[in-house]
Amino acid sequence: MPSKSNRILTMSHAIAEGIANEMRTDSSVFVMGEDIAAYGGIFGATTGLLAEFGEQRIRDTPISETAFIGAGVGAAMAGMRPIVELMFVDFFGVCMDAIYNLAAKNIYFSGGNCKVPLVIMTATGGGYSDAGQHSQTLHATFAHMPGLKVAVPSNAYDAKGLMISAIRDDSPVLYMFHKGLQGLAWMASPEKAATEVPDDAYAIPLGEAKVARPGKDATIVTLSMMVHRSMEAAEQLAKDGIDVEVVDLRTLVPLDRATVFKSVAKTGRLIVVDEDYSSFGVTAEIITSVVERDPTVLKAKPRRLAFPDIPIPYSRPMEQFALPNAEKITEAVRETVKKGH
Amino acid sequence: MSEIAVPEGLWDTSKTPEGIVGNWFYRDGSMVEAGAKVAELMVEKTVFDITAPAAGELHILVPKDGVVRPGTLIGRIDGA
Amino acid sequence: MKPTKDQLLWMYSAMAKARYYEDTMAAVYMEGKSPKFDIGAGPVPGEMHLCAGQEPCAAGVCVHLRPEDTVTATHRPHHQAIAKGVDLKKMTAEIFGKKTGLAGGRGGHMHLLDPKVNFACSGIVAEGAGPAVGAALAAKMRGTKAVAVSYVGEGAANQGAFHEALNLAALWKLPVLFVVEDNAWAISVPKSKSTAVADNSVRAAAYGIPGVHIADNDTLAIFAAAGEAIDRARAGGGPTLMEIETYRYYGHFQGDPEVYRPAGEVAALKAKDPIERLRKEMIANGGVSAAEADAALAAAHKEVDEAFAFARQSPYPAPAEALEHVFA
Repeated sequence: MPSKSNRILTMSHAIAEGIANEMRTDSSVFVMGEDIAAYGGIFGATTGLLAEFGEQRIRDTPISETAFIGAGVGAAMAGMRPIVELMFVDFFGVCMDAIYNLAAKNIYFSGGNCKVPLVIMTATGGGYSDAGQHSQTLHATFAHMPGLKVAVPSNAYDAKGLMISAIRDDSPVLYMFHKGLQGLAWMASPEKAATEVPDDAYAIPLGEAKVARPGKDATIVTLSMMVHRSMEAAEQLAKDGIDVEVVDLRTLVPLDRATVFKSVAKTGRLIVVDEDYSSFGVTAEIITSVVERDPTVLKAKPRRLAFPDIPIPYSRPMEQFALPNAEKITEAVRETVKKGH
Repeated sequence: MSEIAVPEGLWDTSKTPEGIVGNWFYRDGSMVEAGAKVAELMVEKTVFDITAPAAGELHILVPKDGVVRPGTLIGRIDGA
Repeated sequence: MKPTKDQLLWMYSAMAKARYYEDTMAAVYMEGKSPKFDIGAGPVPGEMHLCAGQEPCAAGVCVHLRPEDTVTATHRPHHQAIAKGVDLKKMTAEIFGKKTGLAGGRGGHMHLLDPKVNFACSGIVAEGAGPAVGAALAAKMRGTKAVAVSYVGEGAANQGAFHEALNLAALWKLPVLFVVEDNAWAISVPKSKSTAVADNSVRAAAYGIPGVHIADNDTLAIFAAAGEAIDRARAGGGPTLMEIETYRYYGHFQGDPEVYRPAGEVAALKAKDPIERLRKEMIANGGVSAAEADAALAAAHKEVDEAFAFARQSPYPAPAEALEHVFA
C-alpha cells in the first residue's frame, strides 16, 4: 500500500516523480528525447530530472525520432530500461516503423527469447487550437498494433502508478498523457487532474480499468480527458436523479473488457466517449466487446461520442463544435435513459 | 501564525505588473512542513515556487488563477 | 551577383513587412492571455512561432522566384509566405481562424497553404523537404523552368526525411534549393548538442551536390548564393544545399520561457539587425534614396495594418463548416 500523503501534484510532476522513483533504485533506467533535459520536457513530464540524475541518464536528442526510438529498442534489448519521449503523438508518422515494426514485434520474432522493456511516452490531445498536426489523440492507431501495451492515465495519482508499471514491464509500453491534463500553467486543465500523490513508488497494474464513479442507470466508458468531461456530465445528471457509472479505462492494451462488461450488465445502457476520431476506434471496440459477449444485457442501443472523421480544425468555433464535451455527454445519457431507446 | 506573501522584487513589475497563482500543492486546511513547496506563481511565461515559511495548518487566501502582485498575501500558516 | 536597385528595394520591403508583421503579431497573440497565459485564449490561440531576425533567409532567396516556383516552409513561416507573395489578408485571417482565411480557418498559422503562389508550410519538422522534391520532379518531367525551395531549420537537418529528400534530389538531378535556416536553437537544444558537424553545408558532399554556407545573416551574400543556385537549377544543373547562419529574436514559440538562452544574447543580435544593415548598404551603394526607402517602409507597414484589420473584422466560420473539405 502506498504511504499516505496530503501533497497535491499536477500530472506532469507525478509522471516525473514516477520516473525519478524508478531511476533512484534501478540504474538501467534512463530517459531520451527532444528538450527533455534542461527544458524538463515541453509538457513537463521530465521536470527536475536533469538536476537529480545528470545528462548521461537524461539525454536531449537531435530531431531524429527514427534514430532515437530505434536506439531505445536496441538499448532495451541490451539490458537497459529506456524511456523515450515522442514529443507529440502526432509526430509518430516520421518514426512509425521503429514503433510498430521494430519495438512491437521483436519479442515475437525472437519467440519470447528477448525482452523489450521500452517505454515510449508521448503527449496527446487538443482543445486549445493547436490544429491538425498537434492535437490528435490517436488511441486507436496504437491500440490496434499487436505487441504494444498502451497506458492512458486521466489523473496524477494514476499517472505515477501507471508510469512505474510501464517502466517495470518487460514489454514495450506506449504511455499516452493528455497535454490538457498535465497541469501546466500555460494550458487550462480540469481541477481534478491534479490529485494527492504519495511520494513513494507504487505501481498500478496495466490492464485494470477503474470505476471512477459508481452508478446504476447508465455506463459511460471513457479515458483520458474525457473522464473529466464525463464526470462533469455525471454531476449534472445526478441533479436530475440520473445515476451514471463512469468507467475510466486507464489502459487500452491490455483492455479490461471484464470491468466494462460487468458495468453494462448492471446498468443496461452504454455510452462510450473518446477524443480520438470516431470510426474504426476505441468506441467501436468497446461496443463490440459488449455486444459480441451478450447483446441481451443492453436495454437501449449503445451510443458513442467521439471526434468526427475530419482533420482537427484550427479555428476555435470549429474545434469546439467537433470535440465531445460535458453537454453532449449529458444529452446522450438523457436520450439513452428514455423509455424505448 | 505565519504569512505567505508574494516576495517583493520577485519579477520586473514595470514590464508585467501582475501574475497569477498557477497551482496550490495542498488543499486548504492541510498540514504542511516548513520549507515544503506549497504553491507556484506564473508571471507571463515564468514559474516561481512558493515555500511554506513554517510548519502548520495551511489556509489559502488567493485560489488558483487568482491575480497577484508583489506583496499580495496568498495564504497563511497557523502554527502546529 | 549583385542586386539591382529594384531588387534591393524589393528585398528591403519584404523584410520590413515581415518584421512589422511579427512584431504586430507578438502583441496581438498576447491579447486575452494576460495576466494568465492560457495558450487557448484570445483572438490568436494555439501556438505561435515568430521569425523576427530571420528575414534575410526569405528575402534573399525569394527575390529570385516566380509565382510558378514552389516554396515549402516550416512552423515558422511568415517571412517566407510574405516573400513568396501569399495573400496577406487571407493569411492573417487564417491565423485569426476566420472564414475569410486561406483555408477558412481550418489550418491556422502552422498550416498556411496558398496554391496560387505554390506556397505550403507544415508543423512537422522536415516534412516539406519531400514535397519540394516532388514539385521539382514535376517541373523536370513537364520541361518547365520552375524550381522548388525547401526551407528547414538546423534541427531538421538531423531528421531522416531531410536526408532522404537530398539523396533523391541529387540522384535525379532535380531543380531544388534546400535552405537550412540555422537560428542556433532547436527549441532549447543548441546545434552543438544535436549535430555531428558544425556546418550543415558540408553534408552536401554526402549527396554529391554543391554546399554553401552563409555567415552572419548577410542578405547580400544570400542573394548572390541563392541566385547562383537557382540559375543552376533552372539550367538543369541539379540541387544545392545552403545553410544560413541567422537569428531569431523571439523564443521558439510565444510563451517560451527561454531558460536556455544566455542573458544578453538577443540584445547583441539586435545590435546588428539585418534590415538596418540592408538599408544602410542600399542607400550608400545601391542607388536608393532615403526617401525611397522610407516610402517602401511606410507602404509595407500599411499593408500589414490593413491585413490585421481585415482579419479582425472578418467573421468566424459557422461551427459545422468543420465538417467540409475533408475530400476534394
